[in-house]
Amino acid sequence: MTINRRTILSLAAGTALGAAIRPAFAAGEPISIGAVIPTTGPMSLSGKQYFNTLTMAEEDINKAGGINGRPVKFVIQDAGSSNSTAVSAFMKLIQETKPPFAFLTSYSTQNLATAPEVVKAKIPVMYAGGADAVAESSNGWMFRIRPTDSLAARGMAQFVKTLKATKPGILYIQNDFGQGGAQAAAKLLEANGTAPVGMEAYGQNDKDFSAQILRLRQKGADVILTFVYPADGALLLRQIKALGLKTPIVASSASFLPAALQLLSPADLENVWGVIDTFVDASVGGRMTDFTTRYKAKFGQDGDAYGLAYYDGALLLAEGLKKVGTDPEKLRDFIASQKSWEGIGQTFSFDDKGNGVPGVVVVKAKPGTKTIELVERIRPS
Amino acid sequence: MADLIQLLTNGLALGSVYALAAIGFVIVYSATGVVNFAAGQFVMLGTFAGVAMLLNAGLPMPVGYAAALIAMALFGALFYLVVYLPLRTSPVVTVIIGTVAIGITLQNAALLTFGSWPFRLPSPFEGMMIEVAGAVVSVHALAVVATTAVMIFLLWLLLHRTAIGIAMRAVAQDVKAARLMGLRVQWLLAFSWILGAVLAGVAGLMLGPMWFADVNMGDPIALKAFAATVIGGFGSLPGAIAGGLFVGLAEVLGASYISSAYKDLIAFGIMILFLLVRPQGIFGEPIQDRG
Amino acid sequence: MALRVLALAAYLAIGLALSVSVSEYTLRLLNLATISAVAVIGLNFAFGYAGLISLGHAAFMGLGAYILAILTTQAGWSPWLATLPAILGTGLAAVVIGVPLLRLKGHYLALATLGLNVSFGIVAANWIELTGGTNGIAKIPGLSLFGHAIEGERPFLWLSLAVVAVLAVLASFIQRSRYGRAMMAVRDDETAASMTGINVTATKVSAFALSAIYAAIAGCLFATHVHFISPDDFNFAHSITFLSMLIVGGEGTIAGAIIGAALLTFLPEWLRVLGESYLAFFGLMMLAILIFMPTGIVGLLSRFRRSAKREAPPAPASSGEGART
Repeated sequence: MTINRRTILSLAAGTALGAAIRPAFAAGEPISIGAVIPTTGPMSLSGKQYFNTLTMAEEDINKAGGINGRPVKFVIQDAGSSNSTAVSAFMKLIQETKPPFAFLTSYSTQNLATAPEVVKAKIPVMYAGGADAVAESSNGWMFRIRPTDSLAARGMAQFVKTLKATKPGILYIQNDFGQGGAQAAAKLLEANGTAPVGMEAYGQNDKDFSAQILRLRQKGADVILTFVYPADGALLLRQIKALGLKTPIVASSASFLPAALQLLSPADLENVWGVIDTFVDASVGGRMTDFTTRYKAKFGQDGDAYGLAYYDGALLLAEGLKKVGTDPEKLRDFIASQKSWEGIGQTFSFDDKGNGVPGVVVVKAKPGTKTIELVERIRPS
Repeated sequence: MADLIQLLTNGLALGSVYALAAIGFVIVYSATGVVNFAAGQFVMLGTFAGVAMLLNAGLPMPVGYAAALIAMALFGALFYLVVYLPLRTSPVVTVIIGTVAIGITLQNAALLTFGSWPFRLPSPFEGMMIEVAGAVVSVHALAVVATTAVMIFLLWLLLHRTAIGIAMRAVAQDVKAARLMGLRVQWLLAFSWILGAVLAGVAGLMLGPMWFADVNMGDPIALKAFAATVIGGFGSLPGAIAGGLFVGLAEVLGASYISSAYKDLIAFGIMILFLLVRPQGIFGEPIQDRG
Repeated sequence: MALRVLALAAYLAIGLALSVSVSEYTLRLLNLATISAVAVIGLNFAFGYAGLISLGHAAFMGLGAYILAILTTQAGWSPWLATLPAILGTGLAAVVIGVPLLRLKGHYLALATLGLNVSFGIVAANWIELTGGTNGIAKIPGLSLFGHAIEGERPFLWLSLAVVAVLAVLASFIQRSRYGRAMMAVRDDETAASMTGINVTATKVSAFALSAIYAAIAGCLFATHVHFISPDDFNFAHSITFLSMLIVGGEGTIAGAIIGAALLTFLPEWLRVLGESYLAFFGLMMLAILIFMPTGIVGLLSRFRRSAKREAPPAPASSGEGART
């Protein structure tokens, strides 16, 4: 087990080095915070954002004096693309870093697989997987910093009403997010008296959606709800336009991430509404503009809503650490008691299952441009 | 009816890409006997060679394409030296695992180099669409089909009408006899890898503008290319084309007429069925010693 | 024979010593390694002895895990009881699949089984009522023994070590039985084997079924260990990993299966110190092992042993103790 010792030594060396070059804004023993996020594999598209925003949050917190004089240090482990890797990474953190708190991934199955270990570790965690099932196995320690998939689905169903569409079609990616979202939306639409006329799936790696799109057109869909990931979401929008469909599209949040938008032309976004977590609007001023400008300057890309959720989470955590210290139980109770904590992207309000985001927003591109504007806020009761 | 034509054209375009990816795999297989599980990563690298030359280095299109293909040729030579030569006497399975291992390295090296955001590779036919009997087809998709056809023709010329091609086929049939006849076997094997890599590069450059470039795109393409190869017939170039088109059409028509959730089951089910009933595929090699 | 007993005793001693001395995280990795070892010992029947290249092993592990998970969470069975249909059902499935499929050889069989694994994933992800779809099945109950729940990494490791030991001994007996010799005869030369009266098809199918049964046991262990399964846990990449474990450890050997499973479980975790590039290095290291240790780690060890024997005169004639320990 020499490797383990070496790991710890190198970690210690890294910490020492980091502390040495860090300006003396915050001195004292650093507080280690864990993060298990995907930096390799297909999930790394979002994972890289979390990596960046957490790095940024670490700097910002320490520049502002740290936690009552003590610096924080984020120890980040790769969650990869498998459940097993995510669980191992979490246990490595618990064992070697012993953090009072950790961030988990935004992949629901990884969250579900890690949940039993969180209970054992008895530390509060924030996660961003959307599946309702994660909260169902709620154990008091897990806090969700993004809307649930069913909340997003409710937002989409509600907006279908606004559009006065009566024959919705659903197109979804075949994974936990897509399946869950599509099923939730179908139920809600049915309850609204506008049962979906068709539900079509596509694989995570599919590149041609013509069959699915044409089937929905044949069935006379007058609006299409899409549950997508960024790259396929962008490809889907392009193919819908290429096939000449004028049907309004209500897309899930990934379609409006910068990673997806950079792949699209203004024409691809015509008649497309996005039901998203939060509107990352660089022009709004204040903390939001500060965040977006600094992110862009530091990483050369636009920051997105998912990354912002982790940044907000880190700031909320820092406040908790300042107020109640590093005791995991007190920290958990602190987070659970937040009913209107003002983050940059969200006003967090945690319910008894640990869901912290009570609403979603609808956005749209201004005609002929890729500039996004707010259409409405949806906060289902 | 218009819908059917639309589905057929999209299925053919999709199938052409699978076919193009399968050809590179087949060239290497027939010359060296290696089942290259990194074949998908070869295609991914081809796309990213395009990203590096056209987007990062900002080269104009013909120069950029040429530079990307030269880079792929160098990569093929490197792969021959680092992976194939050391493993050439190893059993089939060891070579398979070796190509999987290097595939993991290639994918992660690409992630480290290019990052996790997808890229949109420009097309020479950017935004051009034509209408055929009510179906909308992008000119780029037609170009993919045409390129595939041209590549097949050139390959056929190479293998049947040039000295190097005839020598390659001799090596593929019997290495010992080829060596006795005084052929420089190692050079020919190296050339096969280079050719395979360049063909994967062509596939990568063609599909980049249609599908976006993404460092994780390799494995899914490889799976479809394998299915195409088996259905068409292992080691057969016409088979790779037929198989690729077949898989592409099965995917699109299956999603439309059977079930979009289970459509990939159709391609792989047919692949298994072919293996059971007609393992030599539509055009394939008679299976004897390559078992 | 003495060597085998010694190896088993050493394995159990090392396992037990580790189980009381290492951290929870290392215990988890040891559990993953032992669960993989069960699957890889099984794969050794199909590939190591009978020469069948299977890239669908993870699907059999998944089938076992899903049967157990469905029976325990939806029908309220006890996990021990559910292991029976899980194991037998998977074995039966392997027979049904094996009879037509095992006529294929080499990479044809590899691609056919790969196709099966992909197909399994598609069905598991879409048969939502039964499998929970891509969300998987959570809250799978754990095993218990004499009224004690086998919860936590350490007690589970004791169980999985015991399972590996029993299955390894069983595999070793099978290997040296008539059936084991028949499998190897079929691997080496089918025609010659059938001329000596061996039923080639039956031998292949039984090796395949045996490997699937081991995979199902691994699946049951996996499900009761992590209490959560989803289609991703059994995708084709895991099948390739199992085969890699066997090759890296030393094909055709039980010790190789166990060592390979441990090494490829721990290696990527150790490499985490390298940061972002750790998986790129992992691939390179695997390639290096394949190039420089063509007979796997066990092959390398036995080569050392043989050359040591040659140096120590007079070398006793070792009977049948070759690379295949």
